Amino acid sequence: MRKSKKDSVNRRDFLRAAAAGTAALVVHPAVAKAASPEQPRATGAPPLLKAQPDAPAGAEVVTVDRPGSDFMVDVLKTLNFEYLCANPGNSFRSLHESLINYGGNRTPEFITCCHEESSVAMGHGYAKIEGKPLLVCVHGTVGLQHASMAIYDAFCDRVPVYIVLGNFGDAAERFGQVDWTHSAQDPAAMIRDYVKWDDRPVSLQGFSESAVRAYKIATTPPMMPVALVADHELQEYAISDGANLSVPKLTMTSPPVGDSGAVAEIARLLVAAENPVLVTDRVARTPAGLAGLIELAETLQAPVVDRNGRMNFPTRHPLNHTERGGAAIANADVIAGLELTDFWSTVNSVGGQLNPVVRPSTKPGTKLVSITANELYMKSNYQDFQRYAAVDIAIAADAEATLPSLIEAVKRQITDDRKRTFQDRGAKLATAHQQAMQAQRETAASGWDATPISTARMSSEIWAQIKDEDWSLVSNCQFVSRWPLRLWDFNKHYHYIGGEGGYGVGYGLPAAVGAALANRKHGRLTVNIQNDGDLMFAPGVLWTAAHHRIPLLIVMHNNRAYHQELMQVQMMADRHNRGITNASIGSVLVDPPIDYSKLAQGMGVHAEGPISDPDDLAPAIRRAIAIVKGGDPALIDVLTQPR
Amino acid sequence: MRNLTVLASAFALVLACPLVNAQTPAAKSADTAAASAANGKRAFTSVGCVACHGAQGQGTAMGIQIAPPPFELPALITYVRQPTGKMPPFAPGAVSDQQLADIYAFLKSVAPPPSASETLTGNADNGKKLFAAYGCYECHGRQGAGASTGPRIGPPAITLAAVLRYVRAPTGQMPPYTTKVVSDQDLADIYTYLKSLPPPPPASSIPLLNQ
Repeated sequence: MRKSKKDSVNRRDFLRAAAAGTAALVVHPAVAKAASPEQPRATGAPPLLKAQPDAPAGAEVVTVDRPGSDFMVDVLKTLNFEYLCANPGNSFRSLHESLINYGGNRTPEFITCCHEESSVAMGHGYAKIEGKPLLVCVHGTVGLQHASMAIYDAFCDRVPVYIVLGNFGDAAERFGQVDWTHSAQDPAAMIRDYVKWDDRPVSLQGFSESAVRAYKIATTPPMMPVALVADHELQEYAISDGANLSVPKLTMTSPPVGDSGAVAEIARLLVAAENPVLVTDRVARTPAGLAGLIELAETLQAPVVDRNGRMNFPTRHPLNHTERGGAAIANADVIAGLELTDFWSTVNSVGGQLNPVVRPSTKPGTKLVSITANELYMKSNYQDFQRYAAVDIAIAADAEATLPSLIEAVKRQITDDRKRTFQDRGAKLATAHQQAMQAQRETAASGWDATPISTARMSSEIWAQIKDEDWSLVSNCQFVSRWPLRLWDFNKHYHYIGGEGGYGVGYGLPAAVGAALANRKHGRLTVNIQNDGDLMFAPGVLWTAAHHRIPLLIVMHNNRAYHQELMQVQMMADRHNRGITNASIGSVLVDPPIDYSKLAQGMGVHAEGPISDPDDLAPAIRRAIAIVKGGDPALIDVLTQPR
Repeated sequence: MRNLTVLASAFALVLACPLVNAQTPAAKSADTAAASAANGKRAFTSVGCVACHGAQGQGTAMGIQIAPPPFELPALITYVRQPTGKMPPFAPGAVSDQQLADIYAFLKSVAPPPSASETLTGNADNGKKLFAAYGCYECHGRQGAGASTGPRIGPPAITLAAVLRYVRAPTGQMPPYTTKVVSDQDLADIYTYLKSLPPPPPASSIPLLNQ
């Protein structure tokens, strides 16, 4: 609550007086002393509020000509955000107003979200397509707590999301109970473990510099979310006439490139190896990464085993050996891990029932080399850094940025003899690739006509309709047995964007909408195979897609369960030897079954289903694609096999 | 948030490998070669099979019981050359067809005698109900067609005896089903149901799988 005027003269009262041009005369020296430190905090010079031109002398000043949030918009516009995703909140109300009126609701354009988790996850999906962050505004405390899981996902996935947090920093400036509950001493504290950087500037000039710095930090590998607190005083009070505010130049930081000596040594090992293997996860940040990895693999005629954190390598390339990755790794004498999230699990397997039993997946003596920017920045609390991998050469650098020098180093060391060896190896690898691909097709045939519909059949039906389009799959394939990656022809950098990063449920739909938002201006047909349980976390993003006309084909993988957990509970029931018929309690979504078609229709999205006959799929997909091509989202509810 | 780690399908090694029906010329040759259990015992150790499957093929935390072998010899050779799951591949340079035939003979020689339940007769209709009620579908699909979480088991490629052994003491992420939870007769019913299912069509017969 605000203090009584009898007890003190607060800052707002002081400013009113100052604006009336009488402050120097009427303010008690003690009050002036107390208020003085506040002046630079906001703008650098008084007055912060200006008198209304037509107001009589001594009248209360109730308008602000140029709030600090206008300047914040000036700053944010230099960072060229296309979109702002936010659920409105009064802790950033002034910034909100400045963005839509002063800023003209352009660069960024306000995208209305129904949950802060959706706002951040949209930014997550958008950044993986567009290669840069969008802006997310989050209400102090309550909004940030909503957003926190999505921030963690983006952090684990090494994706930049630019977050501005509202806050009522000065207790004396809070109007009531709500302001207090939406305020924090250190608003970013709760997410500090999983953002790359945060700041709480106390002046507009400080905001300007921190905003530019935050952008640089977020977009320099390893990329991660950043958070910037915008205190409501900075937002809402007027910029003083004499304020000398500026926006520093943004100079993007070059991504870290591997040390030349270490790169040359890795090249030497790869060229000399009889069975080198390239294992990739988040290598390709841009189309250049995809092209670079193809060149490296072809130069060496080395197989690529892709962990699919990004669209790293074409699925139908003869050197793509992901589907026989275990055999390739077991036979390798050199394994190069490129932006691997988990190198340890690449070269070890864990068996056992009650206790993990570890066995190497490699031959004795296999050389392990690593290039990853993850080694440049690591936090301690959350354990996403995975088990320690004892490699022979570790380069702390961005793999995509290091690829050109690695390719050159490899080329320098290849002799004619090695070229002939590589050609022979390439021919064998091409045969093995074809065999592995054929094995996938044979496996896909299993349960082809089943009801519920097999995930292989569903994936094949989608592929038949999109393969001649400029398409982009923006959902994690893991929950449909990776069928798209096993059957489709992925060859462009936007064909796939990986998964959640932190395996946090609720990412799928909003990230897909965000990715579709990025794809919209390119005219790409964006496809999302959507898990039912994931959708139920924050389905309001369906409305966001409809409201903002974000074209997106959503095909439900509706197995009517939190199926991973259903399997886990089943396992516990078996392990505890207590019977196995109750495992569904708490982990299935039946009785009543959720009608996703009606849910989507209720939010203005074209929808069909549920579909359980596989022969009904193709026409439904065709109808939905027609809607999407018209610029709107569409959903098809498909009853599927569990995985 | 929820742990979404995919259940490993280590038991995919044995239960339903699509390769097991293939028979290479080398395998046919090995099938008829004179196999020596004594040589097989030595090879079983020198090649490294014991590391995961135990000295008598009885199984460990890292590998299933393989005595008696769950496949016929040709299928075993094919599988060893190009396994699935966590089983490493063994090229002919690492273990020859003849050595595999010897190992096969050794595993047969040390196998425990078959139990009475291995000759049970099952009821397919009841097995279909149990397959759903006992949650088998969760990892293997509602018709046993398989998924990333569990291999195809409809129709099963291994014997009822091998199923009984494996289900009681599985490896990897496959949970153990004791007799307290699932009786031998229930398993025989489920097995019979799975046996009644048609094999998958060849991919070449499905246009959508050739696009």
